[in-house]
Amino acid sequence: MTATEFALRTDGLGKRYRKGWALRDCTLALPAGGVIALVGPNGAGKTTLLRMVVGLLAPSTGTVEVLGHDVTASTPQTLSRVGFLAQDHPLYKRFTVAEMLRFGRACNLRFDQGLAERRLAKLGIPLDRRAGTLSGGQQAQVALALALAKRPDLLVLDEPVASLDPLARHEFLQVLMGAVAEGGVTVLFSSHVVHELERVCDHLVVLNRGRVTLTGDIDTLLAEHRLLVGPRTATDPDRAGAVVAAVHSDRHTTLLVRDGALPAAPGWQARPVALEDLVLAYLRRPSEPSTAVTSGVAA
Amino acid sequence: MTWLIWRQHRTEVCVLGLLVGIFGIALLVLGTQAHDLFPGGPARCAGEAGVNEACAASFRRLDEQYGYVENLLAAFYLVPVVIGAFLGAPLLARELEDGTWQLAWTQAVPRMRWLAAKLAALAGVTVALTGTFTAVLTWFRQPFDAWEGRFQYDAFDVQGLVPVAYALFAFGVATAAGAILRRSLPAFGVAFGAFLAARMPVALLARPAYATPLTTTEPVAVGGSTDQAGPVPSFADWTIEHGYADATGRRLSSTEYHELEDAANRAGTNLNQFLHARDIQQFGVYHPADRFWTFQLIEAALFVAVAAVLIGVVVWRVRRRMI
Repeated sequence: MTATEFALRTDGLGKRYRKGWALRDCTLALPAGGVIALVGPNGAGKTTLLRMVVGLLAPSTGTVEVLGHDVTASTPQTLSRVGFLAQDHPLYKRFTVAEMLRFGRACNLRFDQGLAERRLAKLGIPLDRRAGTLSGGQQAQVALALALAKRPDLLVLDEPVASLDPLARHEFLQVLMGAVAEGGVTVLFSSHVVHELERVCDHLVVLNRGRVTLTGDIDTLLAEHRLLVGPRTATDPDRAGAVVAAVHSDRHTTLLVRDGALPAAPGWQARPVALEDLVLAYLRRPSEPSTAVTSGVAA
Repeated sequence: MTWLIWRQHRTEVCVLGLLVGIFGIALLVLGTQAHDLFPGGPARCAGEAGVNEACAASFRRLDEQYGYVENLLAAFYLVPVVIGAFLGAPLLARELEDGTWQLAWTQAVPRMRWLAAKLAALAGVTVALTGTFTAVLTWFRQPFDAWEGRFQYDAFDVQGLVPVAYALFAFGVATAAGAILRRSLPAFGVAFGAFLAARMPVALLARPAYATPLTTTEPVAVGGSTDQAGPVPSFADWTIEHGYADATGRRLSSTEYHELEDAANRAGTNLNQFLHARDIQQFGVYHPADRFWTFQLIEAALFVAVAAVLIGVVVWRVRRRMI
């Protein structure tokens, strides 16, 4: 892969606030095209990472390269290639929706006003309403329409559906995936909900306590991991290196292993693992440096 | 950007514009009437209060009819501060409060250009509004200045260059406080408090020291009244200190002066004759009236320099992406 085929590359990226490191040693190479999910519990460093990706925050260590360009340069050209939807989708509350669109037109190089108007008309959001009087779901839709009308090559969304009710969440993801299907945009979004990701995402990054613990193509990750169920045992020496997690019940031991598709040992049953269980297993692991597991990208 | 800045700040600009407009018109109306008390213009009566009968009458009527306005205006040195703080506080704080900084700085306008445009526009409005207000106030005070000079606190602080400098100072403090506190209202309060805290020591301690004051010494005149210091320093000069000194030039403390006064009373002689006989001299330490613009320039430069440093801090923080 050449540099420009990566939507995002970070190298040793870290951010330290006064109270400590929010993100450390983050090295990622995420492919362009498709949808990338950034998953982690609250306080894992997701917002910090995303803000550095869009150039809102300066890294304390390391570098960020978006679509082959250093984001700290902040030229109009690099800025216009990246769209950002911040947490709680902030809008100028006293602007009308039409004024929000005018703001987008005034501050961007290739703003597609018609596209935004069509999207909002389809959702039945009136242009003359003040942004602050819209429902949470509608505000999120206006913010998304603004970000998409920028025609970005990379769209970054920070917890876009966290504050929405189930219906608004569904509609939001529908619009987002529709935009992805139209092509041309790579989407990177963060979430602390693992549920539903499988349906929507192609690529996964798991972040825990400021460190990347798992990253890879979702299909590849699911193919590489298996659940092995067998008689209760303290460890499985043959597979010690590949065991991600072990759960013991009275009579059985369930191991999550990363071994490609090696045949199961006698007496053990192999089962595919669900994405949610896989993510949870990696989140439960005690965090150690340099244990990030990478897969699927130019290994 | 122009449209965006106007849309975001039009409420503040309109409210302040209206306020300046109302006060300005009121002052123009009252000021025209006050100027009409001086047929030849107030400048012709400058320094003639005690001499020219017509001027004395004009001043008396001015004091009777418009003296209350002058007293009210003494508080108006705070108006430029309100204007500057009101425009500076929300510049960054409101974006930080509402989270919209993330929206503003991820469009195609680089944040430094965004910041430069905002600072230039709002500082420009601050200067325009305070400049207009000060021009009207300076004109309104002409008759009063002819009477009392321009160096008193209620005159110096509301005319010339310093009000605009106060406004820029408040604008700078409010912007910087807003960037750090991330809240508009506390930032406004900080700017107001900072101005009051800075203005006191500047007016009382720094201002008299902008230049070396002049000193006059003359023997106590036999016939002169002790209340009337001679023509120098005159009414328009800024007297820092005045009192009595003995023949060697040593300044007398108030106790020593009172002892002399008592001695004169006991002796039953006229105080002036008594002092004259002992070679007591009157001295005055003062800044002459023609230093007005020099002092205005120095004080304005002082406040503008602080504002520039604070704006520099804001620019540095935004540039380093510390916000």
